[in-house]
Amino acid sequence: MSRFSFLSSDRAVGLLFIAPFVVTALVFMVYPIAEAIRMAFFNYNPLRPDLVSYAGMSNFEFIFSDPLFWSSFGQGTVWTLLSILFQTVFGVGIALLLHRKLFGMAIFRGMLLFPYIVPTVVIALIWRWIFNPEIGVVNYGLLSVGLIGEPIYWLSTPTMAMASTIMLNVWKYTPFVVICVLARLQSVPLELYDAAKVDGAGAFRRFLDVTLPQLREVLIVVIVFRTIWTFNKFEEIYLLTKGGPGTSTFNLAVYSFEQSMASLRLGVGAATGVVMMIMLMIGSVVYLRVAGFGNEEKEA
Amino acid sequence: MTGDAWWSATKKASLYLVLCIVTLTVCFPLIWALSTSLKPKSEIFATPPTLIPHSTTLENYEALLGGRQQYYQSGGASQAMGPTPAQFFTRWFVNSVIVTLGSTLISIVVSTLAAYSLTRFRYWGRSVIPYFSLLGYMMPSIIFVFPLFLMMVRLELTDNLLSLVFGYVCITLPFCMWLMWAFMRSIPIEIEEAALIDGASRYQVFAQVVLPTALPGIIAASIFSIIVSWNDYLFGRVFINSLDNLTLTVGVMLFFEGTHVDWGLLMAASVLMTVPMAILFMALQRHLVAGFGAGAVKG
Repeated sequence: MSRFSFLSSDRAVGLLFIAPFVVTALVFMVYPIAEAIRMAFFNYNPLRPDLVSYAGMSNFEFIFSDPLFWSSFGQGTVWTLLSILFQTVFGVGIALLLHRKLFGMAIFRGMLLFPYIVPTVVIALIWRWIFNPEIGVVNYGLLSVGLIGEPIYWLSTPTMAMASTIMLNVWKYTPFVVICVLARLQSVPLELYDAAKVDGAGAFRRFLDVTLPQLREVLIVVIVFRTIWTFNKFEEIYLLTKGGPGTSTFNLAVYSFEQSMASLRLGVGAATGVVMMIMLMIGSVVYLRVAGFGNEEKEA
Repeated sequence: MTGDAWWSATKKASLYLVLCIVTLTVCFPLIWALSTSLKPKSEIFATPPTLIPHSTTLENYEALLGGRQQYYQSGGASQAMGPTPAQFFTRWFVNSVIVTLGSTLISIVVSTLAAYSLTRFRYWGRSVIPYFSLLGYMMPSIIFVFPLFLMMVRLELTDNLLSLVFGYVCITLPFCMWLMWAFMRSIPIEIEEAALIDGASRYQVFAQVVLPTALPGIIAASIFSIIVSWNDYLFGRVFINSLDNLTLTVGVMLFFEGTHVDWGLLMAASVLMTVPMAILFMALQRHLVAGFGAGAVKG
C-alpha cells in the first residue's frame, strides 16, 4: 500500500486522529491510575526508591485503624455537606435574581460569576488577610457594629477554621451552580408562570410549584458533581489552613497528601487515594443512574 | 403616576438594591485586596481601616515587577535577608504562562483531533472513550500526582517545567475531550459531505470546514484548560524544587515564610495573578457560559 493511499483511506484517517489521544491518555491517565492502585499494595519511600517492598493489605489496615483517617473522613463529609448546602441555596437564589431582563444585568452577572476564575491561592491569601484576628477587616467590622465582643480567631480555632474553609469553598464555587441553574431557567416555558398567575399563585408559590420542579433535574446533576469534586478537594483546604489547627480541617485529600509528603508513606497515601476512587466510582454510578433516569423522562 | 407604575418602579428599585448588596458582598474580598495593594505601609494597618486609600502608592507593584531585593521591616527600614520572593515574581509569572499555554495547546490539539475522529469514524471503542474521559475528569489530582512524580523522576524531568506541562495535560485533557466531543457531535455532517463530494480531501475538510465551525468549542475548552492550569498548586508543589522553576501559585505561598508577612506585597501579587484570568474572563465570558452548557467544567 502506498503512503498516499494509507493517508487518504478514511478508516486510517480516523485512527490517525485518535492515536495522539490514546497515547496521551495511556501514559498520563491510565498509567498513573494503575500505578496509584499498585502503590497502595507496596511500602514506598520516595527517598529510598530501592527499598520498595510488597505490603499486601497492610496499607489499608494502617488507614482503617488510624483515627486520623476516620476523623479526616468525618470532617471531609461535614465540609462537603455544608459547602454543597450553601452553594445550592445561594446559587439558586443568585440565579433567580439574575434571571431578569434589566438594564446593566450583564455587569451584575459578570461580577457574580467572577469568583469562579480567581485562583484558589489568591482566595486563600485574601482570606488570611481579611480574616486575620488582629488586623483583619472582618473582625474589625463585626466588632465595630457590636456583633461580637472580642476578636474571633478564624483560622486558629477548629470550628472557625472549618467555617472559614467552607466560606472559601462556597465563595469560589457558587458561580458554578448559578451558571447551571441560569442556563436551565432560560428554557422554562413562560406559559407555566402565566398559568400559575391566572390560578392566583403568589411569587413564592410560583417558585415552589413551577420553578423548583423544573430545576429538579439540573440541581440533582449539579449536586452529584459538586459533591464528588468537593469531597476530594485539596487546595481549598490546604492553602488556607494546612489542615489545621492541629488536624481539625483534614479531609481525605489532605490526609493522603500529608501521609505521602510529610510522613513519606507513599503507599499509605495511595491506599487513601484508592478509597477516594472507590467512593468516586459509587458517586459516578449514582450520577449515571440519575442522568439516565432524566433521559428516559425526556424521551417519554 | 398611577399606582401600578409606582409599584413596578418600587419593585425595580428594590431589585437593583438587592443586586447591588449581593454583588458588593460577593466582590468585597477582591475590592479589599485591591485597596490593600495600593496602600502605603503606614495605612495598611490603620484603624479604622480605609476602603479607599487616603494616599495611593504603586510601590508594591514596583517591588514585584522590579524584583525588589530586600524585605521591608515595619518601621520602613530595609534589611537584606537572602533571596526574597519578590525577586522571583516575574520569573514565576513567565513560568506559569509557559506551562499553562503549553499544556493547553497539547490538550486542545489532542482532544480536537480525537473528537473529530470519534464523531466521524466507526471503530471499536468509539463510544467508550468519551465516558472514560468523563471518569477521568472526576478524578482528583491528588491521585495522579505521586505516580506522575515517580514517572518524572524516572524520566529525569523533575524540577523541569516540562513535568508540569505533562501534569496539567493529565488534569485538562479529560474535560477538553468531553467538551470537544459534545461540541463535534452537534456539528452537522452534511457540510463536510458536500465538501468531500466537491473533491476536497479529508484533511482539507478538517482544516477548512470543521475547525472554523468548531472554534467556539475550542475557545471554551481552552478557557477551562487555562483556568485549571493557572490555578494549580499541587503539581507545582510536588514536581518543582528550585526557586527558579516555581510557578506563581507555589511561589507566592512562599511569601509567608520569614518573620514578617508583607500584606501589601501579597495583595499586589494576588491582584497580578488574577488580572490575566480577569482579562480572559471579560473577553470570553460568552464562551465560558457556552462551555458550562456543554457540561464540561472542572471545579
